[in-house]
Amino acid sequence: MKWYIGLGLGTLILATAVAAVLAVQEPARMERFDAAFHARQIENGASLFENNCRTCHGPQGRGIPGVAPALNAADLFDGSRLQAVGYAGTVEDYVRGTIAAGRPVPSEGASYPQRMPTWSQQFGGPLRQDQIESLVQFVINWEQTALAEAGATPSISEEEAVGTDITVSLPEGDAENGQLLAEGSLGCTACHVLSTVGPAWAGEGETAGIGARAASRIEQPDYIGNGTTAHEYLFESVVLSNVFVVEGFDPNVMPADYGRRLTPQDLADVLAYMETFR
Amino acid sequence: MDFIRGIFEPHIPILDDIKEKGVRQTIEDTANDSVRRVTAGLDIPALRGMLRGDEPGRPNPRLTPHADGFWLHMRPGFYNNLVTGLYPSFRLGWLSTFFLTFEIITGVYLMFWYTPSPLVAYQNMVDILSTVPFGRLMRDMHRLGAEVMVAVVALHMLRTLVTGSYKKPRQFTWATGALLLWVTLVLSFSGYLLPWDQLSLWAVTIGASMAEAFPPEVVGQTLNLLVRGGPDIGANGLLRFYLLHVIGLPLAALVLFGVHYYKVVIHGHSLAPEDENIGEDTAKKVPLDKREYFLPTIATRELFYVAGLTLLLIVTSAWFYHAPLEPHADPQVTPLHTTAPWYFLWLQGMLKLGDKVIWGVIVPGAITTISVVFPYFELGPNRRYAARRIGLSGAAVSVFVLAVLSFMGTPWYAVQSSADQEVLAELLPQTHPGPLLNSDWDEFETGTYEAANWQAAPTPALRNILHEFNESLQRHGDTLPNAEGIMVVENWQSGLRKVTLRVLWDSIETGEQTESSQSTYFHQDSAHEVTTRFGG
Repeated sequence: MKWYIGLGLGTLILATAVAAVLAVQEPARMERFDAAFHARQIENGASLFENNCRTCHGPQGRGIPGVAPALNAADLFDGSRLQAVGYAGTVEDYVRGTIAAGRPVPSEGASYPQRMPTWSQQFGGPLRQDQIESLVQFVINWEQTALAEAGATPSISEEEAVGTDITVSLPEGDAENGQLLAEGSLGCTACHVLSTVGPAWAGEGETAGIGARAASRIEQPDYIGNGTTAHEYLFESVVLSNVFVVEGFDPNVMPADYGRRLTPQDLADVLAYMETFR
Repeated sequence: MDFIRGIFEPHIPILDDIKEKGVRQTIEDTANDSVRRVTAGLDIPALRGMLRGDEPGRPNPRLTPHADGFWLHMRPGFYNNLVTGLYPSFRLGWLSTFFLTFEIITGVYLMFWYTPSPLVAYQNMVDILSTVPFGRLMRDMHRLGAEVMVAVVALHMLRTLVTGSYKKPRQFTWATGALLLWVTLVLSFSGYLLPWDQLSLWAVTIGASMAEAFPPEVVGQTLNLLVRGGPDIGANGLLRFYLLHVIGLPLAALVLFGVHYYKVVIHGHSLAPEDENIGEDTAKKVPLDKREYFLPTIATRELFYVAGLTLLLIVTSAWFYHAPLEPHADPQVTPLHTTAPWYFLWLQGMLKLGDKVIWGVIVPGAITTISVVFPYFELGPNRRYAARRIGLSGAAVSVFVLAVLSFMGTPWYAVQSSADQEVLAELLPQTHPGPLLNSDWDEFETGTYEAANWQAAPTPALRNILHEFNESLQRHGDTLPNAEGIMVVENWQSGLRKVTLRVLWDSIETGEQTESSQSTYFHQDSAHEVTTRFGG
């Protein structure tokens, strides 16, 4: 019986010692867990972004002009966007609040026809709180690269821009590159292909595609624009979209700065792509 | 005047004692008295004598705590030394009690950080793992203890069956024990829902859907509503399972355990079959020369077991076993294969045999009823193994059938799903990290790789995953003809990569090339292999 007592006491001391070792290691373990959990949130956030946010905020969060602003952008992280809207909290809180509750009113000067919807279930949206948090961590994880790229954003000078004279002759367009531009940085497809915010490019039923429509449109009696050819009609629609607004759509929805943002080659490519929709 | 003198000259009894016996003797007596009160009858010399191994003397003073104290009155004063060895009990009943206590202690610790609401339950789990001191250890121990307890209780039942200890006069002890097994199973199962992860939601959804099969329809629907607290498991269902888990079932377990153990003590611990004459039950009367007194032999031994087991459970949970935590519960996302906990796999296996009412309600109901009452009908008095060939064969067959049914409950048996999904799920399962996310992140160099060309991949981790991908495609070659596997690794964000697995094959029906793909995101620090070892 004595060895029972000795062994039992020994075991008890050993158990206490193990507990003590664990207690010493607890803070480090918790830190490791936090780091790993944060990483998982970013992983989850990435897939939530692809499924819910990408259609408006663009691939890699680069934004789609006229649809939704860039999130992978320096101005979000350097504080200038917060200053513009007069938000006093941190970037993280701003992102969290905007994702959860949406934006009832767009920022002043922004031309986004669609409002940021509410995403949190708390405000009638589809996502749970933990999903909102994962999205926030994913968006915040762009900070490093977004700030590093600041200033490196390609911008074009006034001389290079195509301008708003629709009679200018454009170089030969490449429809394939036009598609890349329309789906990518220009964001045309968000309104004209993926949603019905703007007139659909693709034909449907009796309605022809935009490439064929352009020719018939200039013949219509209600056409008040300056285009004399199908090509000029499309040119005008892109750079001066308010001159003639198709019936059933509102003016000022389409961004008005494409004349300043596009080089003649870019515009020619986009027009060539538009013309493939017959 | 005496009254006023009493105020200024208070009567302190200890001073009288000191005057009478001296300081030393008074302190000794007071200490002895205190110890005697705590132990309900044993003073310091008696305790020391006990630990030294002295003979107890007559009448045995070490029986007083059993007569006067609350805790020891529940334990017998002495055991028959024929039952204190490993055989015939294997300590399984004692172990069941140990784990019940262990689960209550670790469970109460976890209760401090848990709120039964779908809004916060999962976050509570994360907090327990990230900010609560010993939080992960307690959760791991609670989960490990629960799984081991189910096994221990089941083995206890099997042992009782094999040694014939359920026979007259112990039928009622057996009946309460059989009910205790069910309480243990449901207790363990009801804890599944509380973390509110995918495992919770889907395991419990399967379980609750069995209640729905109860005939007639109106009863099934009502039962289903009662269990789930609504058409689907939500806030009400979680609260119900929580209350069942922390109050209802523990209370039932304690009451049943009280009755069960009372009967054990009243009838005496059943002796091994060969230690008794056929048809006799001599466990109740323990001859003087066979008595092993609880104090001190059994008590110290049990304390030793407690210390040893606790050490074992701490060490196992700290370094070898971690309770899984799957992604947050999501009714929109059904994992490819949802299985019941291992101790209910036999039930899931039976459900695959056919009708839900017959195999989900009637047969399990009959098994339960028979397992509770059969000792009242099985009246053969002989407990010797040689004389119970039919009974023991029946027991062996039952164990075998349960094992086969359990196998049938796993996804390996009669589960239809498309082969391309199976291939993708082998590398990227929805419920746990799986081999891909357990790989070394640094070795996941960006690029496009072909499974068939796995040897050409630049790093061991990539080769390993692509090889597994390729093997899996070849295994499913008959349903995925001309299959091609492609893996694309892209840089996605700082520290984050996107991995896409694509399977291309010629459809058997149309002959056209068909594609199926799945993507995952993989972060540098996610440490899946560390934080959810054994996960899933």
